[in-house]
Amino acid sequence: MRNIDDIDGITRALARVEPGRPGGDPSGAGARALLAAITGERPAQPERPEQAAITGERLAQPERSEQATITGERPEQPERSGQPAPSDARRRPRRRPARRPVRRLVLGLAGAGLLAAGIAVGPGLLEEGGTPSYAVTREPGGVVYVQIRDFRDKEGLARRLAELNVPAIVDYAPPGKWCREPRGTLVEDIPRGLYSPPENIPGERPGPGWQMRIDTRLFRPGQTFVWTISERATTTYLMSGPVAPCVLVPDTTHDLKVVESDYRIATRKGGSLAGFRVDEKTVGEVLPEIERRGLKVEYLIMQVAPDNPGGYGELRTQTEPVGDDWIVWEAEEPARGPGRIRLLVTDKRFDRNPVYGGPRDAVIQE
Amino acid sequence: MGGEPARFESVYQETYGRITAYAARRCDSPQDAADVVAETFAIAWRRIGEVPEGERALLWLYGVARKVLANHYRVEGRRQALSVELDAELADLYQAAPDSGVELAAIAQIFRALPDNDRELLSLVAWEGLDREQIATVLGLSRNAVRIRLHRARRRFARALAEADVHVTSESRLVPAQEGRL
Repeated sequence: MRNIDDIDGITRALARVEPGRPGGDPSGAGARALLAAITGERPAQPERPEQAAITGERLAQPERSEQATITGERPEQPERSGQPAPSDARRRPRRRPARRPVRRLVLGLAGAGLLAAGIAVGPGLLEEGGTPSYAVTREPGGVVYVQIRDFRDKEGLARRLAELNVPAIVDYAPPGKWCREPRGTLVEDIPRGLYSPPENIPGERPGPGWQMRIDTRLFRPGQTFVWTISERATTTYLMSGPVAPCVLVPDTTHDLKVVESDYRIATRKGGSLAGFRVDEKTVGEVLPEIERRGLKVEYLIMQVAPDNPGGYGELRTQTEPVGDDWIVWEAEEPARGPGRIRLLVTDKRFDRNPVYGGPRDAVIQE
Repeated sequence: MGGEPARFESVYQETYGRITAYAARRCDSPQDAADVVAETFAIAWRRIGEVPEGERALLWLYGVARKVLANHYRVEGRRQALSVELDAELADLYQAAPDSGVELAAIAQIFRALPDNDRELLSLVAWEGLDREQIATVLGLSRNAVRIRLHRARRRFARALAEADVHVTSESRLVPAQEGRL
């Protein structure tokens, strides 16, 4: 029999990471991303059952509550600094928090010259027979560009995204159908710059296709992009934890998001605000005229990507007033049943109008 | 309240290199290793109050990582650590694979066939460079138990090698130049 040193030497030679060497570098991107993901959560109260699991007994399965933490969800737990929790609440093992029924359209699209609440795409997507249906390219730094022209090749797109380490689920919804929602837990705190609102594909005339920029370095552990794509609308959700498979159910709400049949620009000829330009004015400047014309008002709070590439997302729509100093970029009204104006607003001024990707005059000539 | 995040961060900085190495040495894929690392530190974050001071923090983390590893399972289509960067960094470790000669592959196969506990004991000595007392802390055993079990594990591994008729022709080739033993 070999001696101890032989055996240990042989074992050492089997090590994937050489003994004495560190694995990862704590100052590396991966380490920092993980640290941020973990410490983005509150430390939990120590809990008896879990502690036991760690200090001795075998766990048959990882605890659900543990998974919830790791996958980026915030387990509901008493504030450490706040009121002490009732002791029975403390003792009960934590379960995954109840799914919130919150449904949020994280991103809509308004391509240049196009106003939309959802991503608006018209028919004719098969016109460009020669162009590939999608393209996904990756820059060395981890930024990925996704261009989609045909919304039916979900397998191809999903495969390509997987190759580039974009954690994404892609589903195609045929006309009249949509995936049953909610499918998972929405990430509330989306890192700035993780992805841009879809914009026109550079070098192509505005059409159904769009492009999106994703910074893969900003994904946190357990997060998944969930795309539902169709000819009519695309939703992009960032979810954490498990995502249910797409179960197609009858749906018409997404059909209604086709721009032309839903909202129209109110400041054009024939609109309720014809002759009155609102773009790039403050809310305080435009409200008196809207009131003078006897119109009701609501606000669509726009989400604009950091570098304002043109296009915007819809954070929410509300009737509650916003500040008089907010900036108006356009006014819309329902195509049917005017009388209500929806102002597209942001809380700060941008260098160019996100609705049009530049001055309104460059797009709308009257 | 400011103390705990700071403390966790310093523990993280101190131990990250060794916990990633620990996971990479034991997992078949960088994705699995990333999961184990993420889960281990997530547990440490939640239990930062229990993490001992000084060198023992690392031993505590090894103990947690070992349990995570033992319970690690993958649900299809779902990952604990979906971090592109972490995966990529750990994948680098997998590219720099140890000598993949036929002989070493045969030894690796025999090693993998050992009982889990034997393998872990041998690994903690040879890979993490822990001494008996440290291993006792990680595994929650007495020092004497570690001594006996380690002896048996070495014997079983040696016997298995002999039975498989694996000849280690050049010890020096197998033993990395860098010595990490205590």
